Amino acid sequence: MTLLKCKELTKKYGNHTALSGINLQIESGHIIGLLGPNGSGKTTLIKMITGVLAPTSGTVCINDKPVGPESKSQISYLPDHTYLNPSMRVRDIMDFFEDFYEDFDSMRAYDMLAKLQINPNCKLKTLSKGTQEKVQLILVMSRRAKLYILDEPIARVDPAARDYILDTILSNYDETASILISTHLISDIENILDEVIFIQNGILHTHAGVDDLRQKEHKSIDTIFREVFKC
Amino acid sequence: MLKKLLKYEWKSVSRILLPLNLGIVLLTIIGCVILSTDIFDSEQALPLALLLFLFYTLSVITFTGITLIYIYVHFYKNLFTAEGYLFHTLPVTRTQLFHSKLFVGSFWCSINSLLTVLSAAALGFAAGFHAAAVDNIDSMQGLLMDGSIAKTADRTSADFIFSEIFGFSPVVFVIVLVLMLVTSCISSVLMGYLSILLGQLIEKFRLAASIGFYMAIYIVTQVLASIVMIVPNLHLFLDNSDESSKYFLSSFFCSMLPAAIITQLILILIFYAASIFLIRRSVNLE
Repeated sequence: MTLLKCKELTKKYGNHTALSGINLQIESGHIIGLLGPNGSGKTTLIKMITGVLAPTSGTVCINDKPVGPESKSQISYLPDHTYLNPSMRVRDIMDFFEDFYEDFDSMRAYDMLAKLQINPNCKLKTLSKGTQEKVQLILVMSRRAKLYILDEPIARVDPAARDYILDTILSNYDETASILISTHLISDIENILDEVIFIQNGILHTHAGVDDLRQKEHKSIDTIFREVFKC
Repeated sequence: MLKKLLKYEWKSVSRILLPLNLGIVLLTIIGCVILSTDIFDSEQALPLALLLFLFYTLSVITFTGITLIYIYVHFYKNLFTAEGYLFHTLPVTRTQLFHSKLFVGSFWCSINSLLTVLSAAALGFAAGFHAAAVDNIDSMQGLLMDGSIAKTADRTSADFIFSEIFGFSPVVFVIVLVLMLVTSCISSVLMGYLSILLGQLIEKFRLAASIGFYMAIYIVTQVLASIVMIVPNLHLFLDNSDESSKYFLSSFFCSMLPAAIITQLILILIFYAASIFLIRRSVNLE
């Protein structure tokens, strides 16, 4: 079943084209790596799928519905930066998510907080940056969404935390849901991916199954990435 | 969903604006207490009185300014900075987001304006009451206490005197004044929101562009409002006859206050329609 469909998706900033004519289809039940060097257009694509950026041309559909409240209720999005009000308590943010997202599982969220020894009564600004990232990930992964979009979820945390984050992602998503993970730390996530999307200079370079690509090239995804995006 | 948005908006804004507006109440109570004492009865107390008056005026202006600026900043921060990634990915429409902010922002702005007017009135009342007590004017104290006891020498009721000065009976005047304050608050809040939304149309320096748009809209509306309010009253300024000067103030209030309300209502309609058009159009978070 097609979960996400992008048709001729283009984004221009003045004369600069950030993303050009992206045609993409994502089926449910897959973990997809959105890979590309810095500035290749990964975040721009994600922002247009989640509706925080308007495309210059082209369309995005989630379950055949254009971007809007309905599509947003099906996407659980983790941006590449802190986006919560730092003066809010963790508990208040949990309540906020529970109120707005019908699919938010607060039991699961509190369980994860307890495992990480994060006090729900703490204000976000009193937590370290890494812990704030973990709180955001807990919020996102505690939803039973159809599509999880994670923008650089492991880029700003230490290797030990990376393992925890990847474990959290794998153990919390529904088998029928899909996960789109944007990163340039390929070796860390290669083993969990079903598909990869390579984006280069705003153009879709490759969209293929991980196993197919490995067999075809006889190389790891990390090696293929390094060859494709060699400076 | 609008209900939920309103709940969180209320909670978030009240955290700052409730203490701020309680500050005006506190300042008023302190002012009333000071004015009901004999502290200003001697001539030597004049510098102190001026200093306290200045302090009060500056404080109220600051509280009012901070309230409006906070409402604008809150709107901008929630929708167009990092927090926008949370609010624009909620399963709500952009118009619902806008309305939740407009309702709560306008409410707090109106409360702030009403408190400011009430504060000035309370201080005026306290000063008048104390002065009447010092000069032993019973009728004046009675008038200030219940507003109806006093009768002047020509047996004109206090209501009638009020109408002669302000052009309306006290009750109607209060209603018209409240209406004017509320409409001007809604229009001020909308003007800020519209400027921020217009700023988002620019590729770079969006905040600076928003401030620029705000200044431009402010100047244009002030010029238009002045024309709308002064032109119909021009004959009052030009007519020097005794009869005319007798009714100058009441005629001025009679035509100016409704004209101000109508002008604000027209501005509200224009600002609201433009804001809704812009917020529905598209969002491009940086």
